Amino acid sequence: MVEAREIETELLAFLYREVFAPQVVLTAETDLIAAGFDSLSLVRVLLFVEMTYGLWIPAGEINAVTLRNLRALAATVSRLLHEG
Amino acid sequence: MRPGSRIGLCYPNSVTYVALTFALWRISAIVVPIPMECTGEELSTIAESMQLESILSPKPLGQGVPLPPDCFFTRRAPRLPPDNHGLNIAFIRFTSGTTNTRKGVVLCHETVRDRVRAANQALRIGRGDTVLWCLPMSHHFLITIVLYLSQGATIVLARHALAGPFLEAVNRWQGTVLYAAPFHYALLARDGSGAGLSSVRLAVSTTAALPQDVAEGFFKRFGLPLIQALGIIELGLVSLNRDDPLRRWNSVGRPLGDYRVRILGPDDNGCGEVAISGPGFFDAYAAPWLPRERVLRDGWFGTGDIGRVDAEGFLFLVGRKTAVINLAGRKVFPEEIEAVLNRHPAVRESRVYGRAHPHLGEVVEADVVLAQPEADLETVRGLCRASLAPFKIPSRLHVVSALPRTADTGKIRRAVAVAEHG
Repeated sequence: MVEAREIETELLAFLYREVFAPQVVLTAETDLIAAGFDSLSLVRVLLFVEMTYGLWIPAGEINAVTLRNLRALAATVSRLLHEG
Repeated sequence: MRPGSRIGLCYPNSVTYVALTFALWRISAIVVPIPMECTGEELSTIAESMQLESILSPKPLGQGVPLPPDCFFTRRAPRLPPDNHGLNIAFIRFTSGTTNTRKGVVLCHETVRDRVRAANQALRIGRGDTVLWCLPMSHHFLITIVLYLSQGATIVLARHALAGPFLEAVNRWQGTVLYAAPFHYALLARDGSGAGLSSVRLAVSTTAALPQDVAEGFFKRFGLPLIQALGIIELGLVSLNRDDPLRRWNSVGRPLGDYRVRILGPDDNGCGEVAISGPGFFDAYAAPWLPRERVLRDGWFGTGDIGRVDAEGFLFLVGRKTAVINLAGRKVFPEEIEAVLNRHPAVRESRVYGRAHPHLGEVVEADVVLAQPEADLETVRGLCRASLAPFKIPSRLHVVSALPRTADTGKIRRAVAVAEHG
């Protein structure tokens, strides 16, 4: 089973590669929305998670708590994967 | 700047965006919106093909001059001076198009006025309305932002389209109108906060087909029907399903006001290409210049959408004649992506298509035939990232040995692309 830490690392690499501009400094605690994470970014992340882990994050889980930062997002993905 | 100058506006949603647009119109300049997500390469393509004389942006582009607050003005020299053909142009909306279609939809001030009038016969926006806004202004502006302001309504720019902040904004500002995409309504429908939408009188769903679970979930959660609208850049707001949004949740409604709909070459189920006539038609395509009169057939515009009209006049869209992909409301033209893929030395040829997706409508995927079997696909993805806005990058690249072609012309066969990987 994929652990939250591993997901966090994958998501961080993805966000740097495909979502945020190179000059944005991003850590696991960075407030994603304040850093410019918009609807389009959300679509990209949802697709990345679906392709990488075979999981579509349900709409009910997509909220300000889940998207508070990368750590919270990775924890949500890990929990949903564990719940099957 | 002088009257008739074509000015690119590459700016995020903000009050400044609105102010810049109206300021440019005040001096009779022409606004060419440029989506913020464009790469430098895409921006150059737009600037060159639309013959922009300058660009306004929040960050400097080359030798940009600062214009307070938070704006830079970059002058450029188009290779050919633009010819506006004597028209009183307000707006040129760049579209990538396909190899066979024209780029840039030209709209005059009079056209914008006619569109706004026609749309508001149905929307009935007035001074008492407050519209919650979350769509990109670079894609949606005329029958929305311009209409709202011209009727004296208030616009609230939502900080984020996530359900929590969006609902908070609606209730704080007592929003009366929502105009958003199914993707946004899906998030709202699953909100568990208990916050309501009691001040809202009209929730319009646009940019993509409304999924049934979203229509039903939203109504169940808020007691408010989602009303589908059909907006087309060449035509304006053509229809709005105010009359029966619950039973006919999948209809875009009856044509508004003076708009008329015809189904061309209907099959046994009554399905055929949707053609429309009405007020506020676009004035021309910009590059190369093609006036409206040469596009219309006896006053009708073929939309490329496949649809049917039921016995009571409701229009249902069931597919497309063209290969355009709709990813959560963003239009993607396969030919544009293929041109980038085919530039990579390891790619011999490619075919891009939309795969049906239950939550996003479609996602972009590509078949590639490699010229070098050992090629690293990551370098192909890297080229896409450098050249294409993020939503255009294929989610998956499938390596195939050959692309299917039509027997008669030898062209890439597109219609079966989705089914083959299904």
